[in-house]
Amino acid sequence: MSVFGGVFRQSSARLFSTGTCARTRMHAVPKLRELDRWTEKRGVFGVYDNIGILGDFKAHPKDLIRGPVWLRGFSGNELQRLIRKKRMVGGRMLTEDKHSLDKRISFLYRRFNRYGKHR
Amino acid sequence: MDFSPQFISSVSGESALPSNLRLPPNLIGVAPQKRASPSGSDLPVLRRCEADIPAHLAPAQTWLESLGSRDSEPLGVVDLHPDVFSVPLRLDILHAVEVWQRNFKRISHAKVKSRAEVSGGGRKPWNQKGSGRARHGSIRSPLWRGGGVAHGPRGPSSYYYMLPMKVRVQGLKIALTAKLAQDYLHIVDSLEIPTPDPHYLLDLVKHRQWGDSILIVDVGDEFPQNILKATEDMKTVNIIPAIGLNVHSMLKHESLVLTLEAVKFLEKKLLWHDVRYVPLYPFKLPYSDLP
Repeated sequence: MSVFGGVFRQSSARLFSTGTCARTRMHAVPKLRELDRWTEKRGVFGVYDNIGILGDFKAHPKDLIRGPVWLRGFSGNELQRLIRKKRMVGGRMLTEDKHSLDKRISFLYRRFNRYGKHR
Repeated sequence: MDFSPQFISSVSGESALPSNLRLPPNLIGVAPQKRASPSGSDLPVLRRCEADIPAHLAPAQTWLESLGSRDSEPLGVVDLHPDVFSVPLRLDILHAVEVWQRNFKRISHAKVKSRAEVSGGGRKPWNQKGSGRARHGSIRSPLWRGGGVAHGPRGPSSYYYMLPMKVRVQGLKIALTAKLAQDYLHIVDSLEIPTPDPHYLLDLVKHRQWGDSILIVDVGDEFPQNILKATEDMKTVNIIPAIGLNVHSMLKHESLVLTLEAVKFLEKKLLWHDVRYVPLYPFKLPYSDLP
């Protein structure tokens, strides 16, 4: 109701601030990072995401993803990702990394399948 | 009704309005002048829709313009299919498609070492009993400084998921409808411009009040050399093939410029999803009745 009163009656809103509410000091507010919203990457982000539906289904958007081989077009929890990694690149991993991977897989298998409420 | 504020000198006396009510002088609030609606004009309809329009809907109409010279008048009127350019504006679908575009490509490489991966920490630091200190089994447990992280981010992880095909198609249609409804859609007969000078394009855009950022869409691999050279170094004017059209780019760029072939291509591709059958196997494998 007071909003309509302020719109239709001119100069009925207060012309000075009394400064009673919200005495927040703004002296230590960090400055916003100056970002260029129109770099090459940001300007053409998302192009070709609909390459399937607009391009006769010869390609799929998951082919656009740049990343590790075992993660392109795949999502899963940690155990699923590690098992997939072991299957796809385990043969060419370094010894120590392979050892850590195996240890982690066996730890997660035991944790998910033997302990807790969800087994 | 005039809503201009009355500037009466107030209690403080230094300025008319307090600082929290004063508007900055460079505020971008100038609304572009509205163009006349093409429905009541004398110019001929230069393009009708190829697909059949349902009987209860009327085609959306918009001007056909030319990039040839800065001051050229609209050449005619263009019909646009209502099932692509006048769909109900579902902002939730638009939001879902935009969030999908941001996230499905995302791979986070954040990884921290767990207590098993941090070097050292195999030996029990001191006896279980007798030393007076707290009992510990390894110096790399998460309790220790320099120890592993218990529940940190583990390994490169992906945020991949796919929205249903029809949702993504509907998102494109809604974005096109929104651009048309807000006067940010411009149809152009072809992308021929007289000079490869970027200033010509900037001048044209400013004169016609098209906006700050333009997305130009055309079909095919070949674009005219002039427009390619002109947009090469421009950040806010981008040219993409019609296959690359997507909701994020349409929302990022203020104005959308489509050629007539691009409109035909988009209508054909987007309308097919309304009449297709459910796929028995992925569409990338050959179907006998699909081209």
